[in-house]
Amino acid sequence: MTEPVRGAVADEIVAAAPEAPDPDEALRAIEYCYEHGWSDGLPLVPVSKPYLDQFLATTSRDPDEIIGSLEQVGRDCTIYLAAVNAAMAGCKPEYFPVVLAAFDALMRERAARGGGFQSTSGPAPLIVVNGPIRHELEFNTAGGAFGDGFRPNATIPRAIGLIVRNAFGIRQHVLGQATQGVPGRWSICIAENEEESPWEPLAANAGQPGGVSAVSATLTRTCEFIDNRATPVAEEVLRDFADTIGRLGPQIFPQTPVALVLCPEHAQQFAGAGYSKADVQNWLIEHSGRTAGEMRRAGKGHVLRFGASKDAEPVSDEHFHRVLSEPRQIPVIVAGAKNAGISMVVRIFGEWSGVATPVGEKP
Amino acid sequence: MPNAILDPTGATTSKAAKAAAPRAPRPASLKGARVGLLINTKQNAAPFLHEVGRLLVENYGVASLTERTKLNFAMPEADDVIKEMAAQSDVIVTGVGDCGSCSAAAAADGVVFEAAGIPAAVIVTESFRATTEAMAELRGAPGFRYATTQHPVAVLGEDQVKERAARVVSDVVALLTDKDA
Repeated sequence: MTEPVRGAVADEIVAAAPEAPDPDEALRAIEYCYEHGWSDGLPLVPVSKPYLDQFLATTSRDPDEIIGSLEQVGRDCTIYLAAVNAAMAGCKPEYFPVVLAAFDALMRERAARGGGFQSTSGPAPLIVVNGPIRHELEFNTAGGAFGDGFRPNATIPRAIGLIVRNAFGIRQHVLGQATQGVPGRWSICIAENEEESPWEPLAANAGQPGGVSAVSATLTRTCEFIDNRATPVAEEVLRDFADTIGRLGPQIFPQTPVALVLCPEHAQQFAGAGYSKADVQNWLIEHSGRTAGEMRRAGKGHVLRFGASKDAEPVSDEHFHRVLSEPRQIPVIVAGAKNAGISMVVRIFGEWSGVATPVGEKP
Repeated sequence: MPNAILDPTGATTSKAAKAAAPRAPRPASLKGARVGLLINTKQNAAPFLHEVGRLLVENYGVASLTERTKLNFAMPEADDVIKEMAAQSDVIVTGVGDCGSCSAAAAADGVVFEAAGIPAAVIVTESFRATTEAMAELRGAPGFRYATTQHPVAVLGEDQVKERAARVVSDVVALLTDKDA
């Protein structure tokens, strides 16, 4: 490989290295993709048939196989289209089985099939990868779990966004009607830090035990951090989580599911105090919510009336309204560096299917 | 010959995308008509459509009102519900589309009723014109006509809902009869 061109000696170096890629040709190809409306706003990788074939070679599935449909808009996604979009997103060919598993897991979500991508909430997928594939493909499994800098973590969710845009035809201001959307909408792909988790991986809670490579996904409305690193009392930390989980802003239905992305420090603190994942979930079910009075004073009184018969007596202002009722509403993931007590509450849009998709197998 | 850049949008469509959908013939007036109200469950949709229905009976000679509540506001209504409503109604009023998926779904429902020979007045808020029109076009009805009311509707009090309904009724009548009310 030649060194990048620098400064005044540029002409000489280029002349000496005719095999170097042509940046002007690359730019023309990138602009071609913009002109056709395919981009999410950032440059795309222009895809040729030989490059696409490398993606298709990673699966035995028929390129024409339909892997997801949005009936309401009359659009389908095939293996072929998923591969073109994955390549455009910057995925390497060997990521493609993970893209397929992530897409399958996401399309298990009722909200994803049922108008979620058109919604005013503009929800973002949360994709969670488990198993040996995390290391085989060099996912980031450590610090900066929500952050940048790692190709599989960055490009796989982008591929899903491009599929929604291009294969399903959902574009902002037309069929996409997000009021504000979600920061980092197509960028959240967490490879669980299984090595520093005291508990079983998420896939094991989602029908894929035994350490297999599998992907889970749901739609989310945002992330809110919990910074708590100064108390030795596990229940105090849990109470901090419960406060955020139960707050009023996200309450539009009686139940408000969340995913917990726990840093290793919090997870190990809970485990050290004797809590299993289920214990954490049950503690939070019990303690997360607000009183009916608090809800009414914030214009959320109607949430209390969902599903109640018209003649039902209104609950008293002192009634504590719990926003969660079962563990499946609180998937727990361990991610990030073991360097601070900083975790994330991720707001689930609708309800998680609770089912992971194995990588590399036809679902 | 260089390689072509591949198109990521595809040309495959599932059964929902249809060729040109017909528009139902219009009655001369709503006198004696049976009106079906398809309520999409959004906040204030029911009182809004009830008031539209009441005014259609009171001022336009509508003979009867029936109503159904959508199973899922975000999705086009199930075929059997559409068929049942089409069988017992001369015209349909549906809404109120005040979100991304429900406005698009209201348009999709309207196109299906029209194709079944039942004039439909779809009501959405002004914020969702683009998605309503895009969905109608996808369903084979470019230029689909519908009624709008100001956004928002969900926050209105009881009297404000009635006032808003009263303001849209003439547009609803015009849509259903192709005549200015």
